[in-house]
Amino acid sequence: MSELTKKTDEDVIEKPLPPNWILQHPMYQHLMNLDVGDSAQVHAAFLVYLDLAEVRQWKEVSGVGCSELRLVLLEGREKEGEPTQTVLPLPVHRGLCHRSVRSVLARGSPMLLCVVASDSSLVYQRMCDGLLTPDPPVCIQDQGRRQHRKRRQQH
Amino acid sequence: MDSPEPKRTVSREDASKESMAISRQVIGINFCGPTPLMWRADELKSARELGIIGTLVGSLARQPRQNTRLGRPLELLPEEGRLLADMGRAAVIPDSTNEDPEVNPEQVQQYHAGMENSFQEQGAMALEDRKTTLLRVMTAKHNEDSGSQEDSNGAVRDRLEALDHGFSFPRTAMAVQLCTARAGLSHCPEVRRLLATDWPIPRDERSETRFRVFRDLRRQGFYLTSAGKFGGDYLVYPGDPLRFHAYFIVVCISMDESMPLCDVLAIARLGSNVKKTVLLCSSGESQEDDGEEVVYTSLQWSGMV
Repeated sequence: MSELTKKTDEDVIEKPLPPNWILQHPMYQHLMNLDVGDSAQVHAAFLVYLDLAEVRQWKEVSGVGCSELRLVLLEGREKEGEPTQTVLPLPVHRGLCHRSVRSVLARGSPMLLCVVASDSSLVYQRMCDGLLTPDPPVCIQDQGRRQHRKRRQQH
Repeated sequence: MDSPEPKRTVSREDASKESMAISRQVIGINFCGPTPLMWRADELKSARELGIIGTLVGSLARQPRQNTRLGRPLELLPEEGRLLADMGRAAVIPDSTNEDPEVNPEQVQQYHAGMENSFQEQGAMALEDRKTTLLRVMTAKHNEDSGSQEDSNGAVRDRLEALDHGFSFPRTAMAVQLCTARAGLSHCPEVRRLLATDWPIPRDERSETRFRVFRDLRRQGFYLTSAGKFGGDYLVYPGDPLRFHAYFIVVCISMDESMPLCDVLAIARLGSNVKKTVLLCSSGESQEDDGEEVVYTSLQWSGMV
């Protein structure tokens, strides 16, 4: 991965990133210094941070340590002025217990679980407390095929 | 009957008494191994009014080789049976199959005699049926052709005689009635209360969690059925399953059980695809039966592609 460059009159020279650029990234170092999660979880948290901050352009994305769970969490706002959400980043090989989920929910902000695969692909899963009624099915109107179905069954 | 029977109007009092009788009756549950079953039609109705749905698992006598429509017995979830027992609305009927058949040879003899009678009756009725059909077919045929009256009558007589001699009613074609209202499958309500035994299901943590979740959701007015097709524990409906789509797929877990993340994602995606919310349910910490709280976490579509 290299930074985007523009060959202009200023003659900006493309600066190749070192192979261990992640380790030198200030956010990564901040997450490590929280001294909570293991390196795999911190790495996952960092990838989620990049996705939220750079790709999805979330605002005020920061890392917080949760000592109770021994995990790094991320907080941020999807858009300016919207309430803060909490993201729980986890590498795919880990397990998750309900107690941990309740712990994160207890913080009070809307919660997202983000699962990070070994190829760095991310899947977000929203979780909330209580019984959330699902959206109704799109079309509940009788389509008038009862007669057709009856005839089919006779054969 | 020479004169029509006088019409009997059912008074409101009678109707309400009947419904009260149904609502107060103790439902009898027969166990087949570990599986709780219900056999009596009026009790299935009572159970449904209490929000216990169950699954019909019996073969229908006239439509045996299919399983789209099944009949009694009604198989209950262990939780359904236990809830009925805890509410004092059901009693386990002790298994009488271990009784020595020699003890009542008279009953056995009566049964066989009854079966033989039924067989003879059915045989005679089948023969009559065949004859009627034969006559109808041959008369129709005669009306089509224009043969002479004498010849056709003779032919019919011959055929009928052949039928009388040659007809046999096979045992396998005999219809056998199972009396579920009586015949050793029930006792009168007073006797049932005396016979009621403790619910026999072993209580491990998982069963306990499942039961507490079931009871809590039932208390909230939901109707529950099993959710094998969706990989969960229960399907939760806002009303009778015959009238509503399910809202939730319930997955019962303990608070500290570790769930593989792939499984969480898989079931959440399944829920989204079938428009049902997946509920992760755990039972709270309290040791007392009444104090514990069930916690619910809903898995919601994130919308983040």
